[in-house]
Amino acid sequence: MFAPDTKFLVVDDFATMRKIIKKVLAELGYTNVEEADDGQTALPKIKEAQKQGVPFGFIVSDWNMPGMTGIDLLRAVRADENLKATPFMLVTAESEQKNVVEAVQAGVNDYVVKPFNAATMKAKFEAIYNRLNNAA
Amino acid sequence: MSAAEQINNPLLDKQLVNAFIDGVQKTLSTMAMTESSPKKAFVEKDFEAKGDVSGMIGMVSGNMKGTITISFGKEAIFKILENMLGEEYSDIDDEVRDAVGELTNMIYGTAKTTLNELGYNFEMAIPTVITGAHQITNYHKGATLVIPFEMGDLGFHIEITVE
Repeated sequence: MFAPDTKFLVVDDFATMRKIIKKVLAELGYTNVEEADDGQTALPKIKEAQKQGVPFGFIVSDWNMPGMTGIDLLRAVRADENLKATPFMLVTAESEQKNVVEAVQAGVNDYVVKPFNAATMKAKFEAIYNRLNNAA
Repeated sequence: MSAAEQINNPLLDKQLVNAFIDGVQKTLSTMAMTESSPKKAFVEKDFEAKGDVSGMIGMVSGNMKGTITISFGKEAIFKILENMLGEEYSDIDDEVRDAVGELTNMIYGTAKTTLNELGYNFEMAIPTVITGAHQITNYHKGATLVIPFEMGDLGFHIEITVE
């Protein structure tokens, strides 16, 4: 799995969901976790962390948020030469086929559909790690 | 209400109603390990507040415009959140309101996915959370389909209005 000190960014407009995701991450041993409440606040954080030499190693984002959506955040990350390799997971209630296709085309690493349980999210983290390592 | 009125009433669209019932049950069982079961639905001529805190989402699909409201009494939402977050709550504070918004979001999202696969065309929407009976009552008017849910000895309601 990802190194225990991997720095995560959890992006969701609802504090409750950020809390749930942080809880799952803590159960997996990840405590280096920061939060943002939409894409607009997340993107400068991601860029600044990269600039400071302490980049985020994983981004977990909701899709449907006011300000800047998760899919737009994903596109912005993938369009930035310095950030484009950052693993990115969408956690969203949008699970129609067209949404999944759009996310894959935008370069998402995996997709967790709300509602979800901790085991589902853990399995997705492992799947992303395995895919990235097999591809390396 | 006559049989003819019932058939013409979009509130009695079984696919729509069932999608929301499934959305509620799936969301609460997956996120909060809380089982709930729907009781007999009924139509109210005018919207009436059912709980202490409500999550609402405006629904638009083609010509149909409506609102789904999920209303919880204090004890019911405190129980759900205790199961979901492992923390105890005793006031309807910002944390509780936020959680009601997220639950509403998930319930709507689950139902929307099912309905859109059946040919509806619901869009993404951001929920609003309101508290206080007076505010809830005044939020929207008109005939309302009320679906009561039971969870142990507690309960909550979903209310669907269609313009």
